[in-house]
Amino acid sequence: MENSSTMSKSAVKISLDLLSNPLCEQDQDFLNMVTALDTAMKRMDAFNQEKVNQIQKTVIEPLKKFGSVFPSLNMAVKRREQALQDYRRLQAKVEKYEEKEKTGPVLAKLHQAREELRPVRDDFEAKNKQLLDEMPRFYNSRLDYFQPSFESLIRAQVVYYSEMHKIFGDLTQQLAQPGRPDEQRERENEARLSELRALSIVADD
Amino acid sequence: MPQKEPADMTDHGDDELSSRTGSPDEEGRVPEERSLLHQSLAVRELIDTEVSYLHVLQLCASDIRSHLQQLPQGDLDVLFSNIDDIIKVNSKLLHDLQETAAREEEQVQLIGNLFLEFQEELEQVYKVYCASYEQALLLVEAYRMEPRLQREIQDTIEAVLPQAGSSGLSFLLVIPLQRITKYPLLLQKILENTLPDASAYPVLQRATSALQDVVTNINEYKRRKEVASKYTKVEHLSLRERLARINMHTLSKKTTRLGQLLKQEAGLIPKTEDKEFDDLEESFHWVSLCVTELKNNVAAYLDNLEAFLRFRPQEYDLDIPGGPVVQYCYLARDLQLQAFPEFKQRLEALVWQPLCSLAKALAGPQNLIKKRLDKLLDFERVEEKLLEVGSMTYEEEAARHMYEALNSLLVAELPQFKQLAMRWLGQILCTFVTLQRDLAKQVLQRAEGSLAQLPHHHISDPAFRKLVEDALGQTSHQLHAFQENFEKVLPPPTTQPLLPGAEHQVQALLSRYGPGKLYQVTSNISGSGTLDLTLPRGHVVALLQDKDTKGNSSRWLVDTGGHRGYVPAGKLELYHVVPREEELRGQARPHRDSQRQTPEPTLASVPSVLAVTQVVAVYPFVARSSHEVSLQAGQQVTVLEAQDKKGNPEWSLVEVNGQRGYVPSSFLARAPGPALWGWSLPS
Repeated sequence: MENSSTMSKSAVKISLDLLSNPLCEQDQDFLNMVTALDTAMKRMDAFNQEKVNQIQKTVIEPLKKFGSVFPSLNMAVKRREQALQDYRRLQAKVEKYEEKEKTGPVLAKLHQAREELRPVRDDFEAKNKQLLDEMPRFYNSRLDYFQPSFESLIRAQVVYYSEMHKIFGDLTQQLAQPGRPDEQRERENEARLSELRALSIVADD
Repeated sequence: MPQKEPADMTDHGDDELSSRTGSPDEEGRVPEERSLLHQSLAVRELIDTEVSYLHVLQLCASDIRSHLQQLPQGDLDVLFSNIDDIIKVNSKLLHDLQETAAREEEQVQLIGNLFLEFQEELEQVYKVYCASYEQALLLVEAYRMEPRLQREIQDTIEAVLPQAGSSGLSFLLVIPLQRITKYPLLLQKILENTLPDASAYPVLQRATSALQDVVTNINEYKRRKEVASKYTKVEHLSLRERLARINMHTLSKKTTRLGQLLKQEAGLIPKTEDKEFDDLEESFHWVSLCVTELKNNVAAYLDNLEAFLRFRPQEYDLDIPGGPVVQYCYLARDLQLQAFPEFKQRLEALVWQPLCSLAKALAGPQNLIKKRLDKLLDFERVEEKLLEVGSMTYEEEAARHMYEALNSLLVAELPQFKQLAMRWLGQILCTFVTLQRDLAKQVLQRAEGSLAQLPHHHISDPAFRKLVEDALGQTSHQLHAFQENFEKVLPPPTTQPLLPGAEHQVQALLSRYGPGKLYQVTSNISGSGTLDLTLPRGHVVALLQDKDTKGNSSRWLVDTGGHRGYVPAGKLELYHVVPREEELRGQARPHRDSQRQTPEPTLASVPSVLAVTQVVAVYPFVARSSHEVSLQAGQQVTVLEAQDKKGNPEWSLVEVNGQRGYVPSSFLARAPGPALWGWSLPS
């Protein structure tokens, strides 16, 4: 996002610097051209800002919101994990007592262990079920969740580029000869260069 | 009668000379006829010499050049320069000249017109040749140094043009120069023999001076070229080379200049102010500033474009099949791979490259301007000396000429430079604008294509925005709900099983203090002070005060049912007690949460009376009286009453193996029912 802003800003700088050059005072045509260019660039920059804002609202923020659920989700997963550990630990304890010789104290301890185990197991299973239910739902919700964002993204591009097309299309008509193929432009550049080189004051290299 | 002797004219054996039919009796006509004769002879000379000139040129260009193939092509280009162009122009000239012969009376006039016509072309084509002539001569000298090469060249030339003689190549190469300077002379000759009142006279006069101008211009051009090439060569010298260049001469030159400059700055001598030149220089400075700035800005723009393109969101896999997301990915990929790279490439080729070339071209004039200033200082010095002394040395003379040459060169060409540069700049900017438009068009096409496939494409923008806002508001709620869900902390199982016999203790505390005041010890407490309690984990206590006498709220005063004392608050956890009666009687009340997976089946079958439960004897007990009953460890017993006849909770009335009797309550372990101390699950 900042990238497109930087690009836009550097385009504005191009025209701004041109405008500030004293050559503009000398040459009316040059001044006109540069002023028109500057206006175009500034308008484009404004549109770019709009585009960025729109995208911020409809894509970036929802994305962030979606992402902010994840820490809570992770915590819940951790807690489940812990519960699982407790469960296993107590389960092992119970099994240990079950294997021992069935004496009075052992039996008592066994009972006690079993009683300890039960709530822990329930807790774990509760947590587990919750996650099993909710996580897929959450994950699936992204499908519907993001559709509008991406639609919005495409739309924003359309709006921006149609403005850009209009502005620069008008400017091209106004300034110069549109519709010349690239080879022709290249040839013209070559011609300009040789004109310059024909001057003795220009070094040939 | 004066003899009309054709002796001093080149005889080409034609019959035009036979028109010696001037009647001798008309004195006035004789000189007229004579001059007419001379005139036509001069014309003849012009044409004939042109023929032979062209012939020699053609021999040089074709035969000789092709035989000199042992020389590298670069050398040949320097030697023969643009001789082909010369041949072309001169052929045309000759052709037209020969045509004029058909129109006798007007011939001279036609010739005059012809030369006026050709003036521009001749100048253009010959000045190039003349400018490179010096270099060609250098090459010829170089060849002379190599006897074998020289021999070969000589042989070739002699085979084709014997009259070239021993000077060979240099003789040949100078011919065009000779020719171009001959034209004014030839024309002059015709002019002299033309009557001033003839209609052809003014034309011819103009033609002659025109050709004179051509020669002058060519010389001027040559001189400028020399001067310019001397100083515009951007020399890349190493430091050592630069040091080697410093000798007495250059040092003295520079010192003199510096002295001059200082004197000017100090106001001791007047600075030559040349307003015209200063304006030119300022103008040039702006142009170069403009170009440099533009170049830098475009470079920045290109860098930013690149950074922009490096960011590729569409490459991250969101795992969302179908719908706008996919559309967007396609669109972005398209733009990334096609539209933008094309834009970038065109930008580089059509805007960046030319800007670079333009910027490079600035270097030459900049150098020359600097040099001019140096030479100006020299010049002023010389002028000073002239005033003082009245004469100057040869060197000083040269310095003066150099300055003047540079100055005139710059004055002539800087405006041209500026104009050309501005024109080019304008074109570059126009191209930039066009490229932007083209990019927009491409992106727009593709984006609109993608848009058409979206579900809401027919909706207008404001309506769509509202739609999105609403949708996002909804989903935001949803997300919030999810987040809350994940955050609710299911309380850990608060119960640790009670120690044996603690059940009625708990009940006692409960009845005395109420359920909100009961806390369970989460880890073993060992009291250190006199009032601190030592309690094992799992013990239930009732809170009396949540701070100690000093106001320390981390030390709480509790009642264990037997003792009172302080315990650390951190090791206490609120103890939820849901009285069993309620549980058991109020069957309908769903204390079981839907999240529970394993409902406990034993709940309903537990008898409602508090005192009667199934317990397991933890320790063996030997009955000492008939009121007591013996226990074995691990034996299941049924508790009938959790206290004895006097209400002492330390003894419980149990039934075991059909026998009833009292046993110590602490010897019994409770098997707590599942829902007995349920924690309050959020519904």
